[in-house]
Amino acid sequence: MSSTATSAISATAPKMDPLHHFQVAKHLDLSFMGLDISTSNSVYWMWIAIALVMLFFHLAFKNPRTVPGRMQSLGEVGYLFIHGIVTDIVGEKGRPFFPYIFTLFFFILFCNLAGLIPGSFTVTSQLIVTATFSLTIVGFTFGYGFYRHGSHYFKFFVPSGVPVPLMPLMIPIEIISFLARPISLAVRLFANMTAGHTMLAVMFGYVITLPWWGAWVPFGFTVIFTGVEIFIGFIQAYIFTILTCVYINDAMHMH
Amino acid sequence: MIATAYAATGEQAAAGSGMPQFEPSVFQHQIFWSIASFVILLYLLRKHVLPAIEKVLDTRSNKISSDLDAALKSRQEAEKASVDTQKVLVAARRQAEQTVEEARLEAARYREMAKESLGQELSKKKSLALAEIETAKRAALAELHETVVDIAILATEKLIAKNMTKADTNKMVQEAITAVQEHKGQVH
Amino acid sequence: MDATAAALIGMGLAALGFAGSGVGLGILFGKAIEAIARQPAAEAQLAKYIWIGMAFVEAVALYGLVVAFIIMGKA
Repeated sequence: MSSTATSAISATAPKMDPLHHFQVAKHLDLSFMGLDISTSNSVYWMWIAIALVMLFFHLAFKNPRTVPGRMQSLGEVGYLFIHGIVTDIVGEKGRPFFPYIFTLFFFILFCNLAGLIPGSFTVTSQLIVTATFSLTIVGFTFGYGFYRHGSHYFKFFVPSGVPVPLMPLMIPIEIISFLARPISLAVRLFANMTAGHTMLAVMFGYVITLPWWGAWVPFGFTVIFTGVEIFIGFIQAYIFTILTCVYINDAMHMH
Repeated sequence: MIATAYAATGEQAAAGSGMPQFEPSVFQHQIFWSIASFVILLYLLRKHVLPAIEKVLDTRSNKISSDLDAALKSRQEAEKASVDTQKVLVAARRQAEQTVEEARLEAARYREMAKESLGQELSKKKSLALAEIETAKRAALAELHETVVDIAILATEKLIAKNMTKADTNKMVQEAITAVQEHKGQVH
Repeated sequence: MDATAAALIGMGLAALGFAGSGVGLGILFGKAIEAIARQPAAEAQLAKYIWIGMAFVEAVALYGLVVAFIIMGKA
């Protein structure tokens, strides 16, 4: 298909494939007990994101002071931001989940941001990665709800204040909306990252294919849109975190 | 990104159309590594970062609360000191008033005393003067008496010495009176 | 009709979903500005919900994009 699309743009221009930078290329073929644990560019960028998170906090807290400097303030803002989300949504009981949510936020945030480095790979644009996280989270909240409330937890799917005749309609809706949670959570992040980066790639394609006097328009757009992408990367990490907290809160307090 | 957007290769075209994300052959290792990466990052953050941040925040909140306590304490002290000062001031004012009052009383007493002693002095002087006058009067009367007696004696002598006419007698009494008067004039 | 051509038309139709998202964004920000104009003190609090809402509304458009990409894979 891509050949069809590009030929429509310009027959003489080099072949354009805006989706190419989502290509996962395996590097080392490893397997462990039948499990495929090969490394790939995606895996390397996960590691880079981890390294960046650690570097960020290392710079922020290498010599902690009571009166913080710039980097330390930034690190503290990050901490307090997540702390605020957790205590706002889950409450004080959410304290044990804080390290997980903190890790989740910073992992996603730095994957999103690292993906904006030219030539890099965006880990969160891989549906399977976001789906892994969202399924783990929703599965965990389901298990946690059971652990906490026992069979009582099934009441979660029975909306309160609904007349009994409507129940056969409402309960499937509730179940479907619960099952849609991991999908929407995963697809939201994946689609945002993919769409933004595809858009950037298409625009960069125009920068090359257009003559020099027209190229500055898509180029200026990419400059602005990169800023927007930074913002979106932040917002999406935030949304992912907030929804995680909401789901945990649902499991904990049953609405 | 420009480079990657253009790096379409024959191999990619062979891999088929559609999104690379939906290629199932790359799923398994990414599932494994995303969970592994999450766990590694969780471990690193829990082990190194979160305690450091919490330590900093706790230190700060402790410092702030201790500073607040100290500020409260010093304020209380200041209030106490101010109350003490007020007390001292009130005492001083009271003392001053008392002193003034005492001084006024003392002054009044002195004035009373002075008035009294002056009165005594004056009456004493008055009585002294009266006594003196009395003495002088007595002396004068005594002298007058003496003079009269002298005149009488003188006149009697003259009368006895010379048997004279009435006219002569008159003349002589007249002379005697004149003499007495002269004498008296000398006295006065 | 050629299967490729049909797929391309389908992708274009999937992009129609963006219209709904556009309407949603318009309503979202319009209402947000209205609310802030009414209650400027609540801006900071509202901003949080605006960005969350924006992410949700935008996600709907991107589901359409995903559908388009899926069609692209089938072509």
